[in-house]
Amino acid sequence: MEQKLRREAKALLEQGQVDYIVGFEPGSLKFTTTPLITRDKEEVDRLVINPFIVNNLANFLTELKGRVGIIAKGCDSRSIVSLIQDNKVAREDVVILGIPCPGIIDLSKVEELIGKDRDELEAISREGDKVVITADGKTSEFSITEVLFDNCLGCELPTPQEYDILLGEPTLPVTDRSASQAKIEQLKGMPPQPRWEFWSNELSRCIRCYACRNVCPACFCQRCFVEETEPQWLMPVPRWQDNLMFQVIRNIHVAGRCTDCGECERACPVNIPLRSLTKEMYDIVGELFHFKAGMDKDTAPLMTHYEQEEAEDFIR
Amino acid sequence: MRLINNSKKVNKKDIGKLLSQWSEEFVVFVPSKENGVVMMAKWDGTDTSFVDWYRNTVIPPKAHFLPPMEEMFRFQKDKGSYQLEQPASDGQKQLIFAIRPCDANALAILDKVFEDAYEDPYYLSRRKNRLLVGLGCTNPYDSCFCTSLGSSPSDAANVDLMLTDIGDEFLIEGVTDAGKQLIAQTSGLEEATEADDSRAKEVREASYHKVTRRIDTKDINSKLLSCFEDEDYWEKVAAKCISCGICTLLCPTCYCFDISDELVKQQGTRFRCWDSCAFPIYTKMPMENPREEKWRRVRQKVCHKYEFYLMNFGVIACTGCGRCIRLCPVNWDITQTLNSLPAKT
Repeated sequence: MEQKLRREAKALLEQGQVDYIVGFEPGSLKFTTTPLITRDKEEVDRLVINPFIVNNLANFLTELKGRVGIIAKGCDSRSIVSLIQDNKVAREDVVILGIPCPGIIDLSKVEELIGKDRDELEAISREGDKVVITADGKTSEFSITEVLFDNCLGCELPTPQEYDILLGEPTLPVTDRSASQAKIEQLKGMPPQPRWEFWSNELSRCIRCYACRNVCPACFCQRCFVEETEPQWLMPVPRWQDNLMFQVIRNIHVAGRCTDCGECERACPVNIPLRSLTKEMYDIVGELFHFKAGMDKDTAPLMTHYEQEEAEDFIR
Repeated sequence: MRLINNSKKVNKKDIGKLLSQWSEEFVVFVPSKENGVVMMAKWDGTDTSFVDWYRNTVIPPKAHFLPPMEEMFRFQKDKGSYQLEQPASDGQKQLIFAIRPCDANALAILDKVFEDAYEDPYYLSRRKNRLLVGLGCTNPYDSCFCTSLGSSPSDAANVDLMLTDIGDEFLIEGVTDAGKQLIAQTSGLEEATEADDSRAKEVREASYHKVTRRIDTKDINSKLLSCFEDEDYWEKVAAKCISCGICTLLCPTCYCFDISDELVKQQGTRFRCWDSCAFPIYTKMPMENPREEKWRRVRQKVCHKYEFYLMNFGVIACTGCGRCIRLCPVNWDITQTLNSLPAKT
């Protein structure tokens, strides 16, 4: 798949069909990859596809000028489609190199299973439904469902639906719906007071680095409401109450755009379980509006769209 | 058996007793985990399990000196003027246990700004009543590069007393007068032997070689100066940066802060909180923004640490702790940038 990707990417640059290729190359730390954004056809030889391609590269589309050839997993392709729906990206300006994605490995889960940090591990390899981890010369085998990201375990579209070139055969998702929803169900089962305490405690750690917002393709505002000073919607002071308001408003803003790619939670340096908010919103959007973000580029975006037959009076 | 001057040792099993003793004089902070996030937190009086798992914190101990947010003062609108109310002085005597050499060195770097460039009363009052107990690293991360910055995993230059992991025990050495005094008044410590001392030397030597990430700091400021205008280079290295604040806010030497006022009815509070040069709004001014483009912000971050700070204060504002590499959501790696600076054009 990697060889095909490199060939296709090189051809796109050589034929002048794209100005940039956006993909993944090996990262500088063990078991990492890093975004490769290049115009250089020699550099595309560094492109990789492996179980560690975490980033949602759709995030870069709104800042790159020109035509872009972009590597997209299922969830990323939905983010691209969502950006097209919102008129942030023109379909003809992207060449989507789709990857049927069998799920991405969550290194935090691996660390938890082995009791060691990622840089202390020797190897992690995926073999079908299993993952084989080597540490201190010893190998151990686990079911792949134990190490995939929660959002991958709930994946609804592992193979991009919208693509120009599909690299590899369509794949089925590795699902473990209950593991995927475990944290959320636990929170929903809590009485309001303990749940409130849970969130006040979690959000007290927030340092307002805005990584959750900045890794998110759905957060494409030129200027975020937190940066407004006239009026000042929110203090820049990282008190948990302000942090909570930030997350609540961000969630409402990405409702109908969030594809449950899980990047916000993964990027958070202080492990705030942000997906428990975004996925719940994703499900609410599905339930109330029968809408799933980024499934069809020709459908109007959910929250910026009005129909004569709207059920509620207030909007007319 | 000859005793090493001043050095003592304590069995790891007795760390709790040691911390209890110190808790009588200080509020003791130790490495703790909160939902997997390691930070220095107030010791609960019993748990010393960090001895087994601790490598370094996510939140740098600078947070104890320059907190993520603090009240500078309160004010009250009183007819045409304002009444100011100073915050209660932070006179609490704290002991920060097991601070890593990189993070202690970072405080010495911050002192240049908060003590030499101007006197920051908030920072300095905390600096005066916090005692630093260093713990040398025996298992540095693959992202660590302290040895490229004239330091090492066992550097005791900026702690009050230093611990070295020699197996079942920690060797304890007083560094500053305050540290030596604390050792003198602590009971239950054993005298260290010559064998302990040579074991500690071996450990330090071995740790040094475990740090494999390198940068070349020779002439780094002039190299940066000569490629400062190389827009193509900076655009290329900045391309994947997402302009979040992780690498700066969690950097132990980054000190930028933002000041804001909050007025609720007639009661006001002036806050200051961490700020980051990675944010486009950081340099936003009424007429223009000199760092609107991402590459200019990335360049600023690198040059501030390795060129401007060196020019202004004679030291590089980086201790090689590696947090910016470990925690970056896109694996933007400053060592790769520093190692690939274009030669003079």
